[in-house]
Amino acid sequence: MTNYFYVSPEQLIKDRAEFAQKGIARGRSIVAAIYDQGVLMVAENPSASLNKISEVYDRIAFAGVGKYNEFDRLREAGIRWADSTGFTYSREDVDARALANYYAQHLGDMFTEGQKPLEVEILVAQLGNKVRPTKLYRVAYEGTISDEPRFAVLGGDADTIKDRFALSEDSLEPLRTTLHNAVSALAGPDRVFTADDLEVCVLEDRGSRRTFERLSDARVSDLLG
Amino acid sequence: MGLPLFSAHGDPGPSFWHFAEMSGIDPAPRDHSRENPHATTVIAVRYVGGVVMVGDRQATGNYIASRDVRKIERADRFTALAISGSAARGMELLKIAQLSFEHYEKMTDSSLSLEGKANYLSPIIQRNNLTSPLGVLPLLAGWDESHDQGRIFEYDGAGGCYERFDFATIGSGSPFAEGALRLGFRENLNREEALELGALALYEAGDNDPSTGGPDFVREIYPMMVTVSEDGFHELPTPDVGERFRSINARRTESRGVAGGSLR
Repeated sequence: MTNYFYVSPEQLIKDRAEFAQKGIARGRSIVAAIYDQGVLMVAENPSASLNKISEVYDRIAFAGVGKYNEFDRLREAGIRWADSTGFTYSREDVDARALANYYAQHLGDMFTEGQKPLEVEILVAQLGNKVRPTKLYRVAYEGTISDEPRFAVLGGDADTIKDRFALSEDSLEPLRTTLHNAVSALAGPDRVFTADDLEVCVLEDRGSRRTFERLSDARVSDLLG
Repeated sequence: MGLPLFSAHGDPGPSFWHFAEMSGIDPAPRDHSRENPHATTVIAVRYVGGVVMVGDRQATGNYIASRDVRKIERADRFTALAISGSAARGMELLKIAQLSFEHYEKMTDSSLSLEGKANYLSPIIQRNNLTSPLGVLPLLAGWDESHDQGRIFEYDGAGGCYERFDFATIGSGSPFAEGALRLGFRENLNREEALELGALALYEAGDNDPSTGGPDFVREIYPMMVTVSEDGFHELPTPDVGERFRSINARRTESRGVAGGSLR
């Protein structure tokens, strides 16, 4: 005979949330911040090939923390969504908010209906232009979407890192300063990061259609030095 | 469209075309009875530091449909793609190619090799040409970063992809362009010589083929001239191109339209 135990919805949600949080906390964090010329994304990532930050479209980037296979699948879906939307309509119709909403829906579905919730947190960043604002959308494991005004932190240690980053000035600063702030917020008081430990990408207008750039170690060292 | 998620075994990979087919974004060609504007001359010539491409600007149906079509496009930083045949199909192919190369790059964080790009187009051309009367034949030329040289790939109607080590031409003006290229080509041309030869071959095609637009001095619309080298895709500015065609035209006027004797 099989015994069925009653589990209250509150308990179920709590268990799932704990499970997802634990998974995310195991991974390393990402800081994204708006600077005076664009959007900066910094990940603590010792691997030079397994990326956490990626180009999605002309003015949109993706960053994910948590389980690599899970957020990488979301990244691929985002690129496909963006490319097919741009192909069907026009390049300017590809909007980060729509993509962030799809991510939120999917993560929400997986949280309540999936075998297990996805152990990921997602950032969709958009570099603004005449028709769209510069935006940082953070999507949590259970589908909560938040529009972060100036900077966003993803990952297990988000609150601590957030507090450390918030100490810097309130106005938009140049890339160099913003990178310094982001890296020291990520590292905390006890660690020092070099370019090897970091994955640094920006969205910045440089006169061409595509604005995403993965900064080389040399460039990062130079900016940090 | 919703978020296109796939399971590991059903995943279309980094190929946009494959993905587009699976999701019904790219409709299969339908049968059209009316002919669309077409006819063209595009030339690619290999030189020591890269490839030169020259293409006319005219779209022709029963009359001239357009005088300023861009038949050569930058497919990505190191690749130029030219089209001949149906304008509609050709433009679509250009769009798909540009999108696909970028899509692959974003999905995998690495660029396709030049040969990979050339091969990628084969089945697309094959499917289009074998199912639709609106044929399209592209010409792909680019700088091969791993072999440090310019390379040219041409296609047959069934999608076969062939590398050419000297030069290639597509479009209705090909026979005339090809004649000039055969006489003028030699190995180890430099950039300037290749540009000169390409312009001359296009001038010949425009001269003899009613569906190829030569230099239009009245409207100042000139054939497109493009180089792809280790510095990437570069389109020559209109005044520069105009100057080249004016000088060919001046020589031809001087010889009263006679091209023979020497290559001029």
